[in-house]
Amino acid sequence: MYGATVDPIEDIRSDEEKLAEFEARIARGEKIEPGDWMPEEYRRQLIRMISQHAHSEVVGMLPEGAFITRAPNLRRKLILIAKVQDEGGHGQYLYHAAETLGATREEMLEALLSGKAKYSSIFNYPTLSWADMGAIGWLVDGAAILNQTMLAKCSYGPYARAMVRICAEENFHRRQGQDIVITLALGTPEQKAMMQDSINRWWWPTLMMFGPHDTDSPNSAVLIRWGIKTKTNDELRQSFVDQTAPELMALGLTIPDPNLYYDETSGHWHFGEIDWDEFWNVVKGNGPCNAERMATRRQAHEDGLWVREAMAAYAEKDQS
Amino acid sequence: MNPELKQALVDYLLAMADDELILGHRNSEWCGHAPILEEDIAFANIALDEIGHAIVWYELAADVLGEERDTYANRMVYFRDAPDYRNAQMVELPKGDWAFTMLRQYLFDQFEMVRLEKLTQSSYTPLAEAAAKICTEEIYHLRHTQAWVRRLGLGTEESNRRMQTALNELMRYYEQLFSPSLADTLLFEANIVPFQTELMVHTLELIVPFLVEANLIPPRGSNFVGPNDVIYRHEHTEHLNDLLSNLQQVARLDPMAKW
Amino acid sequence: MTDTQWPRYMVLHQEQDNKPHQHAGTVHAPDAEMALLNARDVFVRRPDCVSLWVVRADLIFTRTQEELALHPDWLGNIQAAGVPTEIYYVFAKRTQKGQFSHVGEVEAENPAHALKMALQQYPAVDGLVWWVFPAKAVLKSTPDDIEAMFAPAAVKDFRDQANFHALSVLRKLMRKQETSNEP
Repeated sequence: MYGATVDPIEDIRSDEEKLAEFEARIARGEKIEPGDWMPEEYRRQLIRMISQHAHSEVVGMLPEGAFITRAPNLRRKLILIAKVQDEGGHGQYLYHAAETLGATREEMLEALLSGKAKYSSIFNYPTLSWADMGAIGWLVDGAAILNQTMLAKCSYGPYARAMVRICAEENFHRRQGQDIVITLALGTPEQKAMMQDSINRWWWPTLMMFGPHDTDSPNSAVLIRWGIKTKTNDELRQSFVDQTAPELMALGLTIPDPNLYYDETSGHWHFGEIDWDEFWNVVKGNGPCNAERMATRRQAHEDGLWVREAMAAYAEKDQS
Repeated sequence: MNPELKQALVDYLLAMADDELILGHRNSEWCGHAPILEEDIAFANIALDEIGHAIVWYELAADVLGEERDTYANRMVYFRDAPDYRNAQMVELPKGDWAFTMLRQYLFDQFEMVRLEKLTQSSYTPLAEAAAKICTEEIYHLRHTQAWVRRLGLGTEESNRRMQTALNELMRYYEQLFSPSLADTLLFEANIVPFQTELMVHTLELIVPFLVEANLIPPRGSNFVGPNDVIYRHEHTEHLNDLLSNLQQVARLDPMAKW
Repeated sequence: MTDTQWPRYMVLHQEQDNKPHQHAGTVHAPDAEMALLNARDVFVRRPDCVSLWVVRADLIFTRTQEELALHPDWLGNIQAAGVPTEIYYVFAKRTQKGQFSHVGEVEAENPAHALKMALQQYPAVDGLVWWVFPAKAVLKSTPDDIEAMFAPAAVKDFRDQANFHALSVLRKLMRKQETSNEP
């Protein structure tokens, strides 16, 4: 829904006809736009996914935001502010994409703050050192880019367009992360140890970001069928390990996985099993920072209430 | 330039740089905590601009001293203690509520705009040129903060009350931005910087009617100079110490390391 | 107390003088002036803009090709009633992967009429989705705003990924490792 509606156009096709035509359009690579017919389940899945994605960006501002005031030189400070700001921007673009499906930002924020809506579990881990800015930029944003590059091709027009915009900016995020990791890994022994500690803490949570195995992912099949996702969680996770593991190792960093090795026959990096109990535990809200992140968001939301009201009141007075 | 004048200019530039740095730092604390997502983004831009301006002034001071720009700027920021900072107290106060933050930014922007316009006439060309460049960003800041101050002043009873409280608090500190140092007289005589009193008169002419129109009452009206003692620029509140221990925490882990 | 996130404003931006305005996204703002200011911060963090427009999202009338094809009569039934007209801007999305861009203007009595006029006036535009909205509802930046609103993004080069040399350092290290691994 972009906006003004005049008389709605009545759709006389049967549901089967509609669905067949819808799936044919997706098969032809066409983009579905607001106003086009879509199955309720497609709309529901998209709102769930996009708003979850938007919440992740907004909550994701917090762990890195905590280091803005502590960035170790002026350039890093500017970069980090710009990066956290971009994340706010990405949340903003994504809420917009969900709004085109009829969800309001008021509802979506309410769902987040009441704990009904989920966001990426990665942001429920704490940032403990400056090195974490490097690990987040490289690993977390690197993982996100794989997912986002895929979604930039998704069948829903507004989501795809938001993703195109986000991907362009996200590369800066990964680059600045790599830059920090390289600087610390090649720096003093203390800096290198700080970086290694950070990789140790972020490696596994990053692999969890791609979600459960495809066999345990209830939504995967329908998302792929309707062109929302084009790759499975496991495929994306494998690409990430293939790309990232050798790069980190070239810097002399160790990956905290004793089962990691390059498999000549498959041409892929083999890696150990994820601790799924930890994964589900964090998803259920018991991660190290779930409560803190939500408390912070709620506080900002409540502190801002009088501001939003005052601005709306002024606009009303100004118009009358 | 004789050594005395040179030192006066460096002090002046450092004071400007420190003001912008500390204000930018305070503003950056909002990133992720603003009243609405759009403002997380907008206010981060203002923080980025202020810190960017601070860097311009630090680097100009480095040029005057013949030092390497980046090294000097970072040394000034990360390896000076509170008593060596030359920022005014107004910018080091905690960020407060959104009313306090927005009003502080507006008051500072208006002061800065007036000063920058004068500085574009400076006989020291690098200063005049830098001022002209920064001026363009300040036009936008002022538009943004004026829009906010007007709306919050006239919005609801609560927003007006919060703004008035912030104004009463801030006005006690605002005056310090305009108090001249001995060195300023030297610079003024060399046509390098404007006269502080002139800045004050001009700034007040702009802010008082604007605030009144926003239904906010400047505590002493347009009679700005109060009975307060002069606060010197090396005097700070306890808040600067807290701010710096946070700001310098990582950099001081290993001063020789590259980060 | 119920929350308000303020109304939504559609943001249209122009990258260069000779290019049409394109859709960028939306901002939530209490009024048009704030929308324009925030649009700058949300959509011009990187230097690629000479003009911004904002318009209340609920004033945009839209139809997709699918909707129009389903009811060929719908357009035919829209008739001018002889009431005063106003100018409407017309935007369209022309390719599957494309973005909405400015097509032109029409004079019409109401939004539906404006869409009908747009289809007649721009037959060569094969719009997959059409938007029309009253020109008078749009708040625009002015050429005077370019310097203060849009030019500053250009000096923020720290956002430019080209200024990070991580990749070349990494490649060098990986090459070194490969050669040292060879017997």
